[in-house]
Amino acid sequence: MQKPFQELRERLLRGGVAPRHVRRYLNELADHLADLTKEEERAGRSTSDAEAAAIVRLGTVEHLAKAMLERRRFRSWCARAPWAMFSVTPLVFLLAAYLVSALILWSGWLMFIPAADTPFGQTPPRISSLGNIYFQIGRMIYFTAPVVIGLAIGLVAVRQRLRTVWPVIGIALVAWMGGTAQIHASRSAVPHGPYIALSFFVSPPDQTLTQTLLHIVVYFALIATTYLILRMRSVHSLAQ
Amino acid sequence: MAPRETNPNFMNGVPELLILRLLQHQEMYGYEIVQAIRERTDEVIAIGEGVVYPVLHGLESEGALSSRRKTVNGRNRIYYSVTARGARRLADLHQTWTDLATAIQKVVGGGQYAKAVPGIA
Repeated sequence: MQKPFQELRERLLRGGVAPRHVRRYLNELADHLADLTKEEERAGRSTSDAEAAAIVRLGTVEHLAKAMLERRRFRSWCARAPWAMFSVTPLVFLLAAYLVSALILWSGWLMFIPAADTPFGQTPPRISSLGNIYFQIGRMIYFTAPVVIGLAIGLVAVRQRLRTVWPVIGIALVAWMGGTAQIHASRSAVPHGPYIALSFFVSPPDQTLTQTLLHIVVYFALIATTYLILRMRSVHSLAQ
Repeated sequence: MAPRETNPNFMNGVPELLILRLLQHQEMYGYEIVQAIRERTDEVIAIGEGVVYPVLHGLESEGALSSRRKTVNGRNRIYYSVTARGARRLADLHQTWTDLATAIQKVVGGGQYAKAVPGIA
């Protein structure tokens, strides 16, 4: 990418313009610049003079950036409402992932081990291979969802050149919800069983506070470290 | 006449008006639009050429323009055309601009208010 466009891209992204609008704007500007350069060459200028004249005619980075930044409709939702995009939205996605996981557990319990008091701790040969695969899919969603959603927060933040505050808050919330999440399922624990329930944000009854904190710290460290690596790589590539 | 930057304070709504008018009967891509504005206004209105794209994108997101990709001579370009909503917007802008120009002409070109301005008959 040519230097004026790289500078323009950074200014637009840092100004909160959505990446898809930035990409389209820069693509059209590049095409326009090519047309202007050809026009200047046809007028008898050398290639380097034609390129310089074309850049002047296209407009300064200041003007090109201002024209886009003053139109608020091009701003991304992350710039307009970071509190919603980095706190509420990830938790909603995580809750949805846990609900899918709980649904798989519930349906697998009814299909493969209907007589069992609880779907937990059931291993082959008491459970079929197909049933085992089915439950493992649910487990995989349950344990990887916080990491995947946390990494998505980091990627979006790096891509849109956002400050670290909101992504770190989002990652901390996801780690907290992920570290304290627990699914309860039992046929005999309540009078009218079976029942299945999800709990978050409080230390589960069968864990010590230290164990819960350890889960939260592991999730946070894993996601935050990856986010910081992505951010450093982005800063490094811009410096080059 | 040498190209010059037009005072942006007097340009509110003018780029939209010119673009919608140019695209009313013919689809064009950005470079074509800017050149058409330069030529048809005898370069009196000279906007920074790249600045046309935020205006085009804004009109498109309002539903006044539609766009499509088209490959011409090996170049993949985005062509813009006016929608029905854009035609209504053009009519409104045209009316506003005509009223404004008429009002200014009344003051500048003569009449009871012009007499108060020294040097204007």
